[in-house]
Amino acid sequence: MRRSWQMNILLALSLAFLCLLILLPFWWVVSSSFKEPQEIISRSPTMVPHSFTLQHFQKLLSSSAYPTYMLNSLIVSTISAIITLMLAVPAAYAFFRMHFPGREVMYRTILLAYAFPSIVVLIPLFGMFVKLGLVDTLTGLVIINVTFALPFSIWMLRSFFAGLPKEIEEAAVMDGASTLVILRRVMIPLITPGIASVGIFAFILSWTEYVFTSVLIVSDAKRTVPVGFSGIIGQYQIDWGMLLAGASFAVLPVIILFSLVGRWFVGGLTEGAVK
Amino acid sequence: MTTLKTACTALALIMPLTAAAEGVELTLWHMEQPPHRVARLQELIDAFNAGHDGVTVTQAPQNWGEIYAKAPAALAAGVGPDIMFVTPDFVPILKQVRDIPSVQEFVAEQDAKHDFIDSAVEAYSYQDGVWAVPLYNMAMNLWYRKGDLAEAGIEVPKTWAELQSAAETLSKDGVYGLGLPANKQLYTDQTVYSFMVNGGATEIYNADGSLRFDNPETVESYTTYTNLQKLSPPDSTSWTWGEAEACFISESCGMILQFSVITGYDTQGAGDPADLGVAPIPAASADDESNTIAYANAGLILSEDEAERAAAQDFLAFLLEPENYGRFLNMEPGLFMPLTATGAEAESFWTEPLTAKYREQIEQIIANSQNGQLFGFTSGRTFPSIAAISAQNLIAETLQDIVVRGNTPADAVAAGQALMVEAAAD
Amino acid sequence: MRGSTPLAIAFVAPALLLLAAILGWPLISAVVLSLQNIRAIGTGGELIGFDNYAEVLSDATFWRAGGISIVWVLANAVVQTILALITALALQQNFPGVRIARTWVILTWIVPTVVTVIIWRWLFSSSGGMINPLLMQLGVIERPIGFFNTPTTAMATLIFINSWRWFPFIALMMLAGLTRIPSDLYEAARLDGANSWRRFIRITWPLLAPTMGVLLVIGTLLSFNVFDIIWLLTSGGPAGGTRTLPVLIYETAFKSYNLSEAATISVLATVFLMGFALLATRYISKTEAQ
Repeated sequence: MRRSWQMNILLALSLAFLCLLILLPFWWVVSSSFKEPQEIISRSPTMVPHSFTLQHFQKLLSSSAYPTYMLNSLIVSTISAIITLMLAVPAAYAFFRMHFPGREVMYRTILLAYAFPSIVVLIPLFGMFVKLGLVDTLTGLVIINVTFALPFSIWMLRSFFAGLPKEIEEAAVMDGASTLVILRRVMIPLITPGIASVGIFAFILSWTEYVFTSVLIVSDAKRTVPVGFSGIIGQYQIDWGMLLAGASFAVLPVIILFSLVGRWFVGGLTEGAVK
Repeated sequence: MTTLKTACTALALIMPLTAAAEGVELTLWHMEQPPHRVARLQELIDAFNAGHDGVTVTQAPQNWGEIYAKAPAALAAGVGPDIMFVTPDFVPILKQVRDIPSVQEFVAEQDAKHDFIDSAVEAYSYQDGVWAVPLYNMAMNLWYRKGDLAEAGIEVPKTWAELQSAAETLSKDGVYGLGLPANKQLYTDQTVYSFMVNGGATEIYNADGSLRFDNPETVESYTTYTNLQKLSPPDSTSWTWGEAEACFISESCGMILQFSVITGYDTQGAGDPADLGVAPIPAASADDESNTIAYANAGLILSEDEAERAAAQDFLAFLLEPENYGRFLNMEPGLFMPLTATGAEAESFWTEPLTAKYREQIEQIIANSQNGQLFGFTSGRTFPSIAAISAQNLIAETLQDIVVRGNTPADAVAAGQALMVEAAAD
Repeated sequence: MRGSTPLAIAFVAPALLLLAAILGWPLISAVVLSLQNIRAIGTGGELIGFDNYAEVLSDATFWRAGGISIVWVLANAVVQTILALITALALQQNFPGVRIARTWVILTWIVPTVVTVIIWRWLFSSSGGMINPLLMQLGVIERPIGFFNTPTTAMATLIFINSWRWFPFIALMMLAGLTRIPSDLYEAARLDGANSWRRFIRITWPLLAPTMGVLLVIGTLLSFNVFDIIWLLTSGGPAGGTRTLPVLIYETAFKSYNLSEAATISVLATVFLMGFALLATRYISKTEAQ
């Protein structure tokens, strides 16, 4: 489609606006994490650093357990994403194509999981997890993350299934393939982009989870990045440089991950689409 | 559901919560979460564990943000800590969840040995018991730069009137004379109460437990505070300690009320011990003695097991020994002050580089903190409802009633008392 | 429809059982709590029937928080829809670097909330914060202002921050919906001489509506329950101006030590949200069927 010059200007303006809106805060944070402490809290902030130091990162890595937090976050997020997919793919297919009593009602009800204020879930859940021995374990975090990623993942995956051409599946049925085989050999390979999107969705959701982790994890060695990050902020004193370095580091692994698989996420989304 | 439970139990067996133990194992929870404090504490714990066969202390730092939900939930579920470092307002909450025995005898013993500051013990003495062992103190002070005051030709303010005129003089282009918070948050509770203790409104309860917050002295303190607060930066309605400190050390604020700015000033600011000034919070008038708010942090023993309680007492006694106590306090140099007479003289305290560098300031803080008070924990007039009053930050909310809603101090204080009565009633 | 019913049940059961176990039990215990008079966590109480409901429903604080919650949800929906629609329409175009832009637009959403909060708290502050100097240079304001000074500005600032975090995600969902619109429809409209605005109103908007409907339901549920951003930035202040229902629930449970009353508010909020979600999804599936 060709665009008129008015549209081009409009497009350029919106892109510039979005660019500033999204990138400027990141630039401020990341560039400031390399500034000398005095410059960070200065009365007249600088857009481009006037000083350069790595002291905040050195301090962060030498004094806190940040590498451990990152490892925990990676473990929890990866396993959560895998389990979410293992549960969501069959469920989404069943909701899409198979017959069982209460299908429509259940499908519409699963999203109601997001209707609970998390605070009210927290305390009974804590008691339940204590009984199951899941407090202060990464397993407990995985269970929570999967629970909250599932409803939306099932919704997304179902619409990916719905986006496939009917003929392919019908051809497989004609060949006499069983449901399991159709799902494994035909459907799943076709919605790989969708699976990638949902997997990344579950990963990010787990990576950013804070409220449950902060209460269910007790020992320092089991903390994830968001909770560990909030720990380096002192109650009475704030080391702003270390805080900004921590913020930069909290985002870094996801940025690396995203530069590797990010296009899958977006590609999957835009090809499969949400119905 | 059952399959899940079985699965979870199986997983739990693979990842057991605690290893099987010999001897006494003690878990210590505290909210001193910044990494350098955790590291210093670990050194002391290691030293203690090495010297005490059969006793192992482990620490699990917690965040202030969640602790009010987490600690009671953990205690109720039986997975709570054996020792916890607490502030006075935390004790009434935990006392509701668990029947905590009095440590009166142990505290008396340690008092005889090290001589506690009286008001620190007082903050934990009510309902016929002493509930926790005072460990480290924090007291609010007035911070300023000597050079600024000299340049403006003013003396260190000693009264509210002098503070007002000093703040006005120091206010100039881009600089705010005095940084005072007006957030609905603990820091504001603390700074407002710093004025109340100096304005004769120390007690918020009568001896019979009824509230006496609504009195002319409280109104006067709020009036003064509100007038001074007008000279603060526009974002002070959302300040916590960190923003106030940043305002001061970046020289955007001429003066602030703060427990300590020493670490921040040294690492992120000018770092000149000769220029950093600290003074008592100004008194209402020249005839009054200056006073301040102080938080005596304490060790609360939560374990119900006799052997564990004895070991926990050993650990707290170990921390209070002068050769360890200074190193313990210096987990945050310049912030945590000794609560014992022996501690204030301990070599282990004064040899820490930063403490030595700012010795003059730290001596002044210790002097200021001698008679520090904490709202709701004064004169043994402590009642369970203080937990809700202090958790809801009703002192700060009363200030916001004036600063944000524009009510008169008298109306706001009356409304504040009504809120406190309500908090106490339900 | 195909596959045997037992196999279908085997497919959905693990997911549904997990949801039921993790969310079902806490919901039941919240209902039980709301019928008791338990104060602090871990203390005892007894059944008192519906007294808590009577008390909460006659409490002005509850209704005020409910009102603030509705303002919060609506304002977030409006701001995020506008920002996301602009973003989605822009990213639908072809321009150099569009693939990179489509991938990295999501940046704000992959940052943990705690980090988002700290970043913005610092940026809005007057010590080292960049927003005030920027606005002063642009001539929008003359002197530094306090963004959390009044209930209105605090609310607006929170809505901005929350929308900043979420709009790219919604934009991508919309982009997904946009890519599904067959391009021959546009060509036909162009041949009929429809200008871009008319094409947007006649084709884009109606065909995007189902996607928007689903997003609106999920978005409403998620933003209604946003707690950490509000709590960490304003704690519901100043003067209660940003105290939404989740904030009120937290305060009631952990600041006023009234667990049963907090559970009551939670149950009421959940019932309200469920009612809304059921009505909305029914409406959406009806319009889809047409």
